[in-house]
Amino acid sequence: MTDRTHYDAIVVGSGISGGWAAKELTERGLKTLVLEAGGPVDPNTDYVEHVQPWEMPYRGRGDRKALERDHPIQRGCYACDELGHKFFVKDHENPYTTPEDAPFKWFRGRQVGGRSIMWGRQVYRWSDLDFAANAKDGHGNDWPIRYKDIAPWYTHVERFIGVSGATEGLSQLPDGDFLPPMGMTCVESDARPKILKAFNGERVMTIGRVAILTKQHNGRLPCHYCGTCEKGCVTHSYFNSLAATLPAARRTGNLTLRPNSVVAEVLYDSKRNRARGVRIVDATTMQEHEYTARIVFLCASTIESVRLLLNSGGPRFPDGLANSSGTLGRYVMDHHYGSGAGGVYPGFTDRKTFGRRPNGIYIARFRNVTKEHPDFLRGYGMQGGSGRNGWGRGGGMPGYGPAFKQSLIDDLGAWHLSASGWGETLPHPDNRVTLDPVVKDKWGIPAARIDVRWRENEKAMEKDMQTAMAEMLDAAGCADIRTHESNNPPGHCIHEMGGARMSKTADAGVVNGWNQAWDVKNLFITDGACMASTACQNPSITYMAITARAVAHAVSALNRGEL
Amino acid sequence: MHRRDLLRAFGAATALALIPEDAIAAWTRLAAGERPGRELGRTQLELIGAIADTLLPRTDSPSATDVRVPAFVEMIVADNFSDVDRAAFIAGLGLIDDAAKRIGNADFVALSPETREQIIASIESGDRRSEPGRTYWRLKDLIIHGYFTSESVMKTVLKVEVMPGRFDGDVLMPARAAAAGAQHND
Repeated sequence: MTDRTHYDAIVVGSGISGGWAAKELTERGLKTLVLEAGGPVDPNTDYVEHVQPWEMPYRGRGDRKALERDHPIQRGCYACDELGHKFFVKDHENPYTTPEDAPFKWFRGRQVGGRSIMWGRQVYRWSDLDFAANAKDGHGNDWPIRYKDIAPWYTHVERFIGVSGATEGLSQLPDGDFLPPMGMTCVESDARPKILKAFNGERVMTIGRVAILTKQHNGRLPCHYCGTCEKGCVTHSYFNSLAATLPAARRTGNLTLRPNSVVAEVLYDSKRNRARGVRIVDATTMQEHEYTARIVFLCASTIESVRLLLNSGGPRFPDGLANSSGTLGRYVMDHHYGSGAGGVYPGFTDRKTFGRRPNGIYIARFRNVTKEHPDFLRGYGMQGGSGRNGWGRGGGMPGYGPAFKQSLIDDLGAWHLSASGWGETLPHPDNRVTLDPVVKDKWGIPAARIDVRWRENEKAMEKDMQTAMAEMLDAAGCADIRTHESNNPPGHCIHEMGGARMSKTADAGVVNGWNQAWDVKNLFITDGACMASTACQNPSITYMAITARAVAHAVSALNRGEL
Repeated sequence: MHRRDLLRAFGAATALALIPEDAIAAWTRLAAGERPGRELGRTQLELIGAIADTLLPRTDSPSATDVRVPAFVEMIVADNFSDVDRAAFIAGLGLIDDAAKRIGNADFVALSPETREQIIASIESGDRRSEPGRTYWRLKDLIIHGYFTSESVMKTVLKVEVMPGRFDGDVLMPARAAAAGAQHND
């Protein structure tokens, strides 16, 4: 810890976006303070990916009582389990509210590295189909940037983090600077050409593009296929802040990282019309401190950054800092996801897999790409995979005795192939985050009140995900095809976006095309809050690219004396 | 990458050192033979053991009771089940024994292996959603999970590798005759 209180730059948050802001700012020579609300993580003692089921009292099924007590909301995320719960916030310390008829799941990780510790690692570039979508159909506001503006930054990010994937030459899902792809299973390899042929090349099933190394890269080891990345990785094979961006920032000698620092307010200097710094509450001592800087980057995660701005109002900005447009907190989105289909894949019973691939297959968006769908705007990508259940099928399988037992050891059962959609959500002004007038968190900061709802377009798309996937399974020759309909509420996909959206003009959004607050020129918001639409691709790589791009602009402007 | 690089990266830390403290405490109690909630009596544990060994008897691989499956079942029933589910489960165990008495004129544990199989076949052919089927299938799921996640079975029967080091999506399986005891579940 340091006694210093003034820096060149302050970054709020150390997750995917904050780590990138820290790396890029420090590498450009700025003395940078990174404030993280949670505590430190030591990979040597905190990562638990190699703990085997027999080493867990509940063999992975979780300590229900403890989870219900400490993580009643967080436990809805697959990664918040018997061991992984340590990377999720305790709900009673971090309350939020919703209207009774609009549930929202807010899954959160407060620790150095944030949610990059247990993120899903899927990374897909956006295309102009996405950046031009709002302008085309009139929902939301037009993005001030296009693919050409961000493409070099995607490359910059991919070269640093390492992304494995296969090139496909699709305009709606641009190829990147990829490491060798992970392998498909025999069933996936068999299905891909059948689906391509059945749908005239429109539906492309590719291996997931994933921020996991398939060869040594920038000093990090390749994946060893243990299969549980969400619990950490001692070989640093998947990208997270802890393994890559924060160490890079530290190597410059310009980084100061302050864990257990809950940022309560962005301090505003009305005379200079600039952000002066931040006020924090030390999470362990409950003492307040102030830190000042020439520029401030908010990378606290979508809803946290919005909440922080809403809580930083004053005479000049009574409705929240940098909110002269009145859009702060509005147009909050998440991907709607989970509807699709699965089936039994015939044959290949003499084939199995070796290693636990922490990745699946991806079917690139095919709706509203070249022709308009009659039932909904925009589109969805699909994610899934294939496998054999092995002994896992035994609990529901009739039988007993030596033959039954041996069949669970020798015979892996039929192959299954399934996938579900990840769909674009239309921006809507009433999907909104405000401050709860009553509820506060453990540190006395007003809680977020979240009112986000799925609307007709999302519901229509969920129906089509089921039909379309069933068609693809049928084309691949599957039997016993069953569709599944998602009932996940907003937030469940953990792709929260919007609330401080990017805009072409100051009256339409919170930040400009460089993520710079229209109202406060030395304040930058580069996490998911800046997103003006969701596309259907997993958003993290876009946050990283946008953050790196914003830093380059901010430092240039700072050096020109403009900030 | 060489396996030794992986092992070096993994470090000397034992897996147990990585488990949260409260989990270690619970596991230590269990390993010491202390039953977590004392929710199940000796008779019920013996019934669970008898059913488990009928499903998964000792062959050239361990039986369910060899790898202490009943202790795992009790752990889940005591700590993981809700109060309502636990009460229903305990009552359901009694109904399984009632079925044994009807068919075999004795408690399940006192019956011959053949009669035990006959009772299990009878329950499995019935409705899964009504008792005793409901409790039986819930128990069977726990027995299978407890058996195949036990240290002995994972290490010596399934031969699961913690760090396989590579992924291959298309591996030819050996013929079944040669496959007994071979690794498949990696």
